[in-house]
Amino acid sequence: MSTASPVKTTAVSAEGVWKAYGSGEAQVVALRDVSVQFASGAFTAIMGPSGSGKSTLMHCLAGLDTTDRGTVHIGDTPVTGLNDKALTKLRRDKIGFIFQQFNLLPTLTAEENITLPAAIAGTKADPDWIKKIIHTLDLSERLSHKPTELSGGQQQRVACARALATRPEVVFADEPTGNLDTRSGAEVLRFLRTSVDDFGQTIVMVTHDPGAAAYADRVVFLADGRIVEDMADPTADKVIDKMKHFEELVAAARGESA
Amino acid sequence: MLRATLKGMASRKARLVLTSLAVVLGTMFVAAAMILTATMEKSVTGVIADAFTGIDAVVTPAEDPAAAQGNTPSANLVPGDVLETVRGVDGVDAADGDVSGQVNAIGDDGKLVGTFAPTIGFNWNAQSTGFNVIREGRAPEADGEVIVSAQFVTDSGLDIGDTVTAYSYSAERADYEIVGVFGLSGDRDSLAGETQIAFTTAEAQRLLTQGEDAYMAIYVQGDASTEDIADAISADYRVQTGEEASEEAAQGFAAVADIMGYIFLGFGLVAVFVSVFLIINTFTIIVAQRQRELALLRAIGAARNQVVGSVLAEAAVIGVIASIVGLGLGVVLGWGLSELVSSTAMGGLPVQLQVPATALWALAVGIGVTVLSAIVPAVKASGVPPVAAMREAVNPPKPLRGITIAGLAVTAVGGVLVVLGLTDNLGDLGLSGFLSGVGIAFVGITLLTPILSRPLVALLGAVMSWSFSGRLGRLNAGRNPRRTAITASALMIAVALVTGIATLVASFKETTTDLTDSNLESDLIVMGQQGANIPTFAPETLAEIKALPDVAAVGDLYGEFFGAEVDGEPTPLYASEDLETSLGIFSGTVAEGSIADLPDDGLAVNESAAEDRGVALGDTVPVTFADGTTEQLEVTAILDDSQLTDGWWVAPTQIEHFTIPKPMQAYIQVADGADIDAVQEEVETILADEPEVDVTNNADFIAQQTGQLDILLGSVQVLLALAIIIAIIGVINTLVLSVLERTRELGLLRAIGMTRGQARRMITVESVIICLFGAVLGIAVGIGLGWTVQQALEEEGLTSFALPWDYIVIYLAAAVVVGLLAAIAPAARAAKLNVLNAIAYE
Repeated sequence: MSTASPVKTTAVSAEGVWKAYGSGEAQVVALRDVSVQFASGAFTAIMGPSGSGKSTLMHCLAGLDTTDRGTVHIGDTPVTGLNDKALTKLRRDKIGFIFQQFNLLPTLTAEENITLPAAIAGTKADPDWIKKIIHTLDLSERLSHKPTELSGGQQQRVACARALATRPEVVFADEPTGNLDTRSGAEVLRFLRTSVDDFGQTIVMVTHDPGAAAYADRVVFLADGRIVEDMADPTADKVIDKMKHFEELVAAARGESA
Repeated sequence: MLRATLKGMASRKARLVLTSLAVVLGTMFVAAAMILTATMEKSVTGVIADAFTGIDAVVTPAEDPAAAQGNTPSANLVPGDVLETVRGVDGVDAADGDVSGQVNAIGDDGKLVGTFAPTIGFNWNAQSTGFNVIREGRAPEADGEVIVSAQFVTDSGLDIGDTVTAYSYSAERADYEIVGVFGLSGDRDSLAGETQIAFTTAEAQRLLTQGEDAYMAIYVQGDASTEDIADAISADYRVQTGEEASEEAAQGFAAVADIMGYIFLGFGLVAVFVSVFLIINTFTIIVAQRQRELALLRAIGAARNQVVGSVLAEAAVIGVIASIVGLGLGVVLGWGLSELVSSTAMGGLPVQLQVPATALWALAVGIGVTVLSAIVPAVKASGVPPVAAMREAVNPPKPLRGITIAGLAVTAVGGVLVVLGLTDNLGDLGLSGFLSGVGIAFVGITLLTPILSRPLVALLGAVMSWSFSGRLGRLNAGRNPRRTAITASALMIAVALVTGIATLVASFKETTTDLTDSNLESDLIVMGQQGANIPTFAPETLAEIKALPDVAAVGDLYGEFFGAEVDGEPTPLYASEDLETSLGIFSGTVAEGSIADLPDDGLAVNESAAEDRGVALGDTVPVTFADGTTEQLEVTAILDDSQLTDGWWVAPTQIEHFTIPKPMQAYIQVADGADIDAVQEEVETILADEPEVDVTNNADFIAQQTGQLDILLGSVQVLLALAIIIAIIGVINTLVLSVLERTRELGLLRAIGMTRGQARRMITVESVIICLFGAVLGIAVGIGLGWTVQQALEEEGLTSFALPWDYIVIYLAAAVVVGLLAAIAPAARAAKLNVLNAIAYE
């Protein structure tokens, strides 16, 4: 497996990241001094209960949200401190996104949605690469369809194709199977796995589903804004087992920082 | 339920303000129109009442005094002996005769004095003082002296001590010394911009009653009743109280204000009509946005009619508030317009602001239109199923078949009414038939706009799709055909109206140019510059022009427009010293008979006029002239129909019976190879002593003929400006909603790398496409409307059809500007969108 490779570059890294929302009494600290690295060519899942800060972490890593303290790098590029224009360019050129829902523009066909990032950038997508993704995702028959004419699973596969279309340094997937039935969800996860194994893609996925996390090479557990566990080679059982003892993990983490 | 409605409204303030603006504008213009009319009427009545202060009774001829002219037959005058009789009636303290009429006075530039030439001439007597106040000098005491109004001094450049030349239609020129200047009570220079000159009674009578000792009216002071006075004199004279006479006099003056009032009422109604679309659209949008909220209300037990009531209540609140604000602004606008009309058209008449009860109609219109427009969206809202509260709102586009069929039907009904109205099939209802036809056709076309929007938006969008964000904007504009269509409709209607008018004006210009170029064989034209009256010049001048070495031929035209009758029917008469030459210059041709040496009792008439009256070549027809002479004339020639020569032509010997026995126009043919400009200069020298006319070349002639239309066309653009404001509001409304609805989509685009500038451009392109769509449709409809009217008026002489290219280009450019302006706020909103919030889940 790719995780075994000794020469591993870091695709995404966070160093001492703090993030709080609101102020005074109503202040909620979403991230407390989070430091984490995501190796290139690896599939990492971020897990945690609601309000644990897993989505905030992903948003900060992807340059969608700013950090209060600490630094974030995508590859060699520092994300922290970039202005909106530079962030937009960074997202366009180096990051792919897969959201839980509403991934596609209803006015465009599946094919146009896949090449959307290139179109926005005013460049031409690499046709061989696009062809390869489309073939892998089994979307060849659906290219001229509008999103409303596609099933939920097909729509999400189009979103996957779009995320990979620009060969980004990292793809962030936010609950990509949250809205799908089990079978469609499995198809999407299998594709993500394939893209890591066959194309060397780096993927960071936020999920609360242990079954989904089992497709990853590594699971990072978040609770109360802190990383409480870092698990390599997860299986669904190991993840479920870990979650059962979550309260203890959180308490331990609190104790450490206190 | 009402509480929930009001709370909901409070949370959508911006949208409510925008919607209210449309209602406010409509109400404002309707109210301003009512106020303008009432205010001008009141102001004019006030001034006229001033003039009649202290006058207890007025004696006038029983016949219509409006027919009075400078050389009025004595039947329309009150003779001097009646004045003596009135003076002898018990209770009459004083009585004076008034001699007044039109006088031509020549200013220091050699042309007639006064913007509203000619000048009003009258006799200065005891009655004149009171309303007229001597500012300087004194009253005229000898026949060679005059006192002039302050406005006259301003317009003529003459002052006390100067000599002024004056004459009338019936009296030759004479020189007078200005011995005094008077103003009007209230320190005004004039009543409504007119110039006045006052003579002794005898001199006024020489100029205005052909020297007869007679008066236009007798003004009486004292307690004698009108009956007592009437009993003392013959029934040929009418006796009115001072108030009655004052009211009658005021009516004529108020007419100007009435016309202005109608124009603004028209603007107001168009604004109201256009805002209907905006209101419907806004409420549809509000309902769509509140779908989940309404579904929740239904789910927890609100009845359908409660939902309808909730939406209508919202409309009523907007209607009431906006109408009250509109009425308030209407008062301000009405007052401002009254001041403007007063200072530009009425010579600084003091304005007395009046808010008539009819202005409250504006309130009713505003509220009514708002509530009625909200009915369709309200009923739609009640159709939201309770289960929609649990689901993500999905509004699949509805098929356009029903609305398209309805649109075709309604457009057809409107079209038929327009054609019927134009072709005299509706009799007196023709104009209202035409106007309501136009209104109905607009509604029909509006219903058709959704289906038209698909190909047109794609076409317009193709032009804009040079960038990817432009392409997305185009796709968005085509996304909801109904919404795009109704948004564009506001602009469409306004552009259609102004394009229609511009098309007619262009066609009229084309017709005039065609006529002049192809039918008029002359190179120079002698005619008057003043619009209000009939300028003439001395007949001897014609001979002088003919005698110029480079002049090949001269056509001339005499006219009689007052009180001449052919076979008992009032008919204008024409004459020429040399009919054959004149007809040649006008490219007129003879169908039957001959016009060579038209005999003294001969008559030439064009074919269709002859047909109308049922006369044929050789028939004898009684012709009565304005001076009372009746002659039996024989039709000796029938002319082919031609706009320049249509009418009844009498022999030159009959000219002496005309009210003004002087030529009105001369058409000069310059000899081949001669310099037209040089001849024009020579003719100018000959005309130096003719204050009423000028010589122009053909190009200037066309410009003069069409110049007034340009002014009309310019003022109609106000309508466009008004509609543009409403259209901008409508487009902003739609775009803001689109941005709201597509928050997720925008968030996604921004997340995957769309820059703020690209997002802004996307919204702007959508906006410009909607506006261009409205303008293109409006231009097409307007051209169609103009063409229909031109076709209907072809018989009346509007023979050419032309497109107002300059205006079309301006309207398209205006549409682009409107699109850019309207997009500013929504585009900024889209650009500033917080990506995180946009993609976050509930």
